[in-house]
Amino acid sequence: MSEPDPDPEELRALGARLDEVQKQRRVRDVPPPPTQAGIAFRFTTELVLATAVGAAIGWCIDWAFHTRPFGIVIMSLFGAAAGIRAVIRAAEEINAQAAKAPARKNDEEK
Amino acid sequence: MAVSPMEQFQVKPIIPLHIGGYDVSFTNQSLWMCVVVGAVSLFMAVAVSNRRLVPSRMQSMAEMSYEFVANMINMAAGEDGLRFFPFIFTIFLFVATSNFFGLLPGSFTVTSQIAVTFALTALVILTVIVTGFIKHGIGFLMLFVPKAPALMLILLVPLEVISFCTRPMSLSVRLFANMLAGHTMLKVMAGFVIALGGAGGIMAFLSVAPMALIVAVYLLEFLVAFLQAYVFAILSCIYLSEALHLHDNH
Repeated sequence: MSEPDPDPEELRALGARLDEVQKQRRVRDVPPPPTQAGIAFRFTTELVLATAVGAAIGWCIDWAFHTRPFGIVIMSLFGAAAGIRAVIRAAEEINAQAAKAPARKNDEEK
Repeated sequence: MAVSPMEQFQVKPIIPLHIGGYDVSFTNQSLWMCVVVGAVSLFMAVAVSNRRLVPSRMQSMAEMSYEFVANMINMAAGEDGLRFFPFIFTIFLFVATSNFFGLLPGSFTVTSQIAVTFALTALVILTVIVTGFIKHGIGFLMLFVPKAPALMLILLVPLEVISFCTRPMSLSVRLFANMLAGHTMLKVMAGFVIALGGAGGIMAFLSVAPMALIVAVYLLEFLVAFLQAYVFAILSCIYLSEALHLHDNH
């Protein structure tokens, strides 16, 4: 051991300062908002996939209960509805993120 | 000679292997998966082999990635989500490293294969389902029953079921399609450069334009590579969080 034992008081002060820095860092670690193309891409995939999954479930129902074509028709409509809800939810998320972004800038100025 | 922009995604066997009627050849895909896993393991092993209180550059990179994922899980899934830290950390590092390695010229993008991304997603969703049933028993099915008047439930329960089934799809398709689209775009524009350059005369000078565009898109792809890994990991956290807490913290 070539290093001298550190002073416990000093270490505690250092720890407090590190905590302070980390608290500030955490605010900065919020990811960048998605690009326009990213948003558009997300909305389309949500919408198309939900409809497709709904149709697939409907097809399975038809196959199991011999109710063709009612299962696939009804479940695709449900799928489309689920897709639209997913898009609304995604839009709300993005809005919430965008609302956070300017607040972040103010924090840095302080 | 025109080279197809999709050729880069072809899985080619390196060591052909057939066991019990199944094709289990060691392909370029397997090779690059091994490279990614090896690189991450080596990086982590080297980074922590010489631990110091004041970290070296390697060590602080490893610590930063650790803290980044730990904070992310803490934010998205809360304290008890940290039990899944090894799982999420592994997935994040694998996806991020595959995406970045895919940007190396001449390499193979592992995450541009839907088989890979879907396998990763299946792992996440199975973990969610198993965790949910262990934690809440049959009550986990209440995930599909939102707080609403009883009459509305006839409409809302199928919606919830469909949106739950959509998750593995959207999670895997998003990563796969982003990688596929970005790399295809790069190849298509590179084709423009070669075609214009080959035309000679004044056309050859025009090839600077797509070249500049390639540089810009390539930089954007770096952002996409990181962002997609981040999105994949944080969505996994959110799904796990729902399995852990059901409706109580929305």
